[in-house]
Amino acid sequence: MNDETAEQPTGDGGSVVESGRVSMWERVGDSERSVVALTAIVVAIFPWLFVRAPVISDLLQGYQSLASLILIWGIFALGFNLLLGYTGLLSFGHAAFWGGAAYAAGIFSASVSGSPILMVLFGTLFAVLLAWILGFVSLRRGGIYFSILTLAFGQMAYYLALSPLQGLTNGENGFTDVTVGNLFGFLDAFAAFESIPLNTPVPLLGDWLYIFVGAITVLCVAAVVRILHSPYGLVFKAIRENEQRASFVGLNVWRYKLMAFILSGAFAGVAGSLFVVHGSYVPVESLYWTTSGEIVIMTVLGGVGSMVGPMVGAGVYLYVENVVSANSAIQPYWHLILGLVFVAVIALFPEGIWGIVGRLRDMISTPSPDTEQEGDN
Amino acid sequence: MSIVSQLATILLNGLQQGAIYVLVAIGLSIILGTLKFVNFAHGALYLIGTYLGLLITLTIRVSDGKLAEWGFGQVGLGWGFLPALIIVPIIVFGVGLLMERFVARPFYDRPDTDQILLTFGLAIVVQEAFKILFGGQSYNFARPARTSLGPLELQLSGPISLPVVGTIGIWRLYVIAITAVLVALVYLLIEYTDFGLVVRAGTRDAEMVRLLGVKITRPYLMVFGVGAALAGIAGVVGGTLYAVNPNIGMDVLVPSFLVVVIGGVGSIRGAVVGGILIGLTLSSLVAVAPQWSQVGIYVLAAIILLTRPQGLLGSEEVAP
Amino acid sequence: MANDGTGQTRRDVVKMTGAAGVAGIAGLTGCLSDGGGGGGGGNNGDYPALGNFPVQGDKVTFGFNVPQSGPYASEGKDELRAYKLAVKHLNNGGGWVDNWEDLSGDGILDKQVDYVTGDTGTDSDQARKQASRMISRDNVMMISGGSSSAVAIAVQGLCQQKKVMFMACLTHSNDTTGKDCERYGFREMFNAYMTGQALAPVVTKEYGKDLKFYQLYADYSWGKTQQASMKQFFEKEGWTQVNSVATPLGTKDYNSYLSEAANSGADALFLNHYGLDGANSLKGAIQAGLDQNMEIVMPLYNRPMAQAAGGAIEGIYGTVAWDSQIDNEPSNSFTKFFGQEYNGRVPSGPAQLAYAQTLQYAAAAERAGTFYPPEVIKQLEGHEYSNLGMEQETMRKCDHQAQRAVPVVKGLPKSEQKSGKYFEIVQITSRDKLGYECGQGPAAECDLGPYK
Repeated sequence: MNDETAEQPTGDGGSVVESGRVSMWERVGDSERSVVALTAIVVAIFPWLFVRAPVISDLLQGYQSLASLILIWGIFALGFNLLLGYTGLLSFGHAAFWGGAAYAAGIFSASVSGSPILMVLFGTLFAVLLAWILGFVSLRRGGIYFSILTLAFGQMAYYLALSPLQGLTNGENGFTDVTVGNLFGFLDAFAAFESIPLNTPVPLLGDWLYIFVGAITVLCVAAVVRILHSPYGLVFKAIRENEQRASFVGLNVWRYKLMAFILSGAFAGVAGSLFVVHGSYVPVESLYWTTSGEIVIMTVLGGVGSMVGPMVGAGVYLYVENVVSANSAIQPYWHLILGLVFVAVIALFPEGIWGIVGRLRDMISTPSPDTEQEGDN
Repeated sequence: MSIVSQLATILLNGLQQGAIYVLVAIGLSIILGTLKFVNFAHGALYLIGTYLGLLITLTIRVSDGKLAEWGFGQVGLGWGFLPALIIVPIIVFGVGLLMERFVARPFYDRPDTDQILLTFGLAIVVQEAFKILFGGQSYNFARPARTSLGPLELQLSGPISLPVVGTIGIWRLYVIAITAVLVALVYLLIEYTDFGLVVRAGTRDAEMVRLLGVKITRPYLMVFGVGAALAGIAGVVGGTLYAVNPNIGMDVLVPSFLVVVIGGVGSIRGAVVGGILIGLTLSSLVAVAPQWSQVGIYVLAAIILLTRPQGLLGSEEVAP
Repeated sequence: MANDGTGQTRRDVVKMTGAAGVAGIAGLTGCLSDGGGGGGGGNNGDYPALGNFPVQGDKVTFGFNVPQSGPYASEGKDELRAYKLAVKHLNNGGGWVDNWEDLSGDGILDKQVDYVTGDTGTDSDQARKQASRMISRDNVMMISGGSSSAVAIAVQGLCQQKKVMFMACLTHSNDTTGKDCERYGFREMFNAYMTGQALAPVVTKEYGKDLKFYQLYADYSWGKTQQASMKQFFEKEGWTQVNSVATPLGTKDYNSYLSEAANSGADALFLNHYGLDGANSLKGAIQAGLDQNMEIVMPLYNRPMAQAAGGAIEGIYGTVAWDSQIDNEPSNSFTKFFGQEYNGRVPSGPAQLAYAQTLQYAAAAERAGTFYPPEVIKQLEGHEYSNLGMEQETMRKCDHQAQRAVPVVKGLPKSEQKSGKYFEIVQITSRDKLGYECGQGPAAECDLGPYK
């Protein structure tokens, strides 16, 4: 990733960002490894707290398959935020990458190999290709048009899967022939583990599916941290702060935007493929615009521009959707409440849930100049 | 069936299908062009128009949703279609004014993405509110066979036999006619009034208009109101063609956006051309390769974007 | 396969120990009161843990997964009413429970019945999320629901993975008990194939022989199988097909398709559309005046569709799952006690399916003497019954498709429509004239998966 063109603007990109932020980035750069380690710990404790811990899990009413699903959508949100939070591009067509990867991984499992690892690789590859094509067309027009165009092409993918390509996708009924195999079924190096089915129980963590999803989540977080701390990440931020200035200093803004779009499509692809490994089924709704809308809502509710925020947003959204809304008194209203909360967040708390949490934390702890910036990462 | 009559049928179908999109797209386009405001809630205005039209025209039986629970099993005025066609745009015009004042105006200085997110959230709220009140099911917006307003009496339903084309529903000719009249009115408004002058200038360069000292608040309010009223009428007309349910707002929004993108932002002629193109693409694909009819309009948009990013009739300056 | 439900959760451990305790007690009481009839009422000790078996505590939980929002909400709410009524009757007696000798009216196998509900929104993704919660968290033994074939197929597949029973409610696609059939899924509803068989004789008798017909069909598996079976059975009766055109799902404006049909010179038009698409296409056809020169047939009706199409359904033939006007003992009593429970409301076809499927499962568990799914499945497979108001029926072993009668109906004019009454029953086509062999038609593609 550190090719020559990216290396050159590092200094310029830095000068675009406020100086205070640069010093923060330098400090955080050292703690890159600790961010990943922290993520790993949270991912490891989460299922126990959510599903098995005394008292807490009974209060939460959590369950294992939701824990895995939260991580999967968390990866999706992480990647989506890479685009929205760091370059300011609002895509309404990410369902195409999530659903496209899901179909790719599902069809791959039915016709080539059911190895979860290969499924994820293939699905992600497909999403990257698709993101490259759609990004190329959608980025022809900047700003507001970008949202409209991604929405339109996302819908095109949905209609493609629904009718003309139903020989491949099984149309409205969804792709039912997914066959997920054992975890390391194709790797000699893991011969001892190769017959592990994903549903084999594991103490504390739940099952191998969760371990698989959790490991990939940690990898994804590591990748995003790396990207953000690389010259690319600084350029992305520069573009968000002031696109014109970024282009005046000689950056090919268009190319960086496309790159951000492809990267975020790749994470959507990882998540979409994992979704198929998780459910062994591809619903055609995974391509519908509502899926794009969901990821937008999760990311914005959680807090755009921070790494933790969108993942928290995904967790909260899925939790409310699957557990809280199961309450029949809330069920008919929950989408309305969601809409109202969403509007309120846009109008009043643009920094989202995580930002509010950060603010509360600041209010409790003694205010120091450093704390303000912590919410930013 | 001869080739000529087949083509005539395709043409007529295309015009009628495009008509609804044209009406919705004109509002989107002038709001986007003049105010630089992206309104994802424009479909919600269409939705409001449809339900209002339904309630003014007919008396419906509500069997689901809060209204039914509260004991309003039968709702609606049953005044007929022509009154609806006049009252609905007036009400939705008012809704548009409120929306400009309380939703759009505080957000003119916020980033584009915030405008989109806000209106997207608003669209969800409106859609869900209707779902809670009327239930999620579809209502039948059946037009009465005849409608009257004072001395004016019109035959609305039933088939009519045309030369070359064959038998078609008479109502579809009305849809095309209503659209044509409205488009002409809006065109005159924009081209030949002072209000229109500000709109056109605003589309070219909003900053310059403001610098020249033109008080732009009121025209902005008007633009939003007129755009909303058109979406409201589109809702009344579209409601009679398709089943009425809370999801139609979003359903109509996406193709209407395509119309704007194809035709070019801020251009009424562009919206008309874009709408007709999309209608014709749909109706000709139905005759040739029905499986591809839904996909075809997106392919059309992609091709036009790749060759002419500013849209068919959009001016170069408008494209950011 | 992905299976989260069997992870060793704390609740699982509680469940195991709890169940062992309960089983011991239940075994004892079983011996004392039943005299050991059928090997001891709730004795779960003989069978290994599988899916959510054994049942924990003194309650058995069902999951009712129906559309409570979206285009089928009104249908889903009617199903839910029927499910709740079924649970009430299973626990306290009443309704059909009093007449079914397998059922006691005091729960199932000495356990009271509890239920959880979910909202599918007629969206297979959402439906699976809801079902997944029911299985993982609420430990349901059986899920019932439907109202869309895509949803039923999606949830049925999940149930097979997790070894939880699925009693399908409304799903009409051939695939549900054909290509996508599952060992853990059972369908009482008839399918598209049988609709064609039931309609052809009635419609050709009414409109005469040697007609030419034109078909529009929704472009997915249900629409395709529906149009194929209409072609097959109407051509058998002497009609000829002029053309058959696929319409993409979610098409709003059918006018282009309809004008092609109107100018084709056909005498009859078949609209193989369901739900919203059906309401839209039928409305378009009536508005364009197609019914003046052509006979229109709507193979599968439901209530929301009839409501949305209004007077447009007048005189149009089709089939329905069940109707309150069917005159036999089970149907009449169902209409009566459903109305008594819910302020005189007339139950819909899907409501009857929902009620019947819940009782079917309960009766099978009672006959099996255990909730152990493979044993319950064996009790349902090949089961003969005649207590649902659809004459003599068989739940076929080879594809889990009920072999039953199909009601053929005709739409009523607007003036005669009342709440809950939209159709007139023309004929109830007996199962002897319907269906296909196990190795033929959709059943040939069915491979029911393992018991365990």
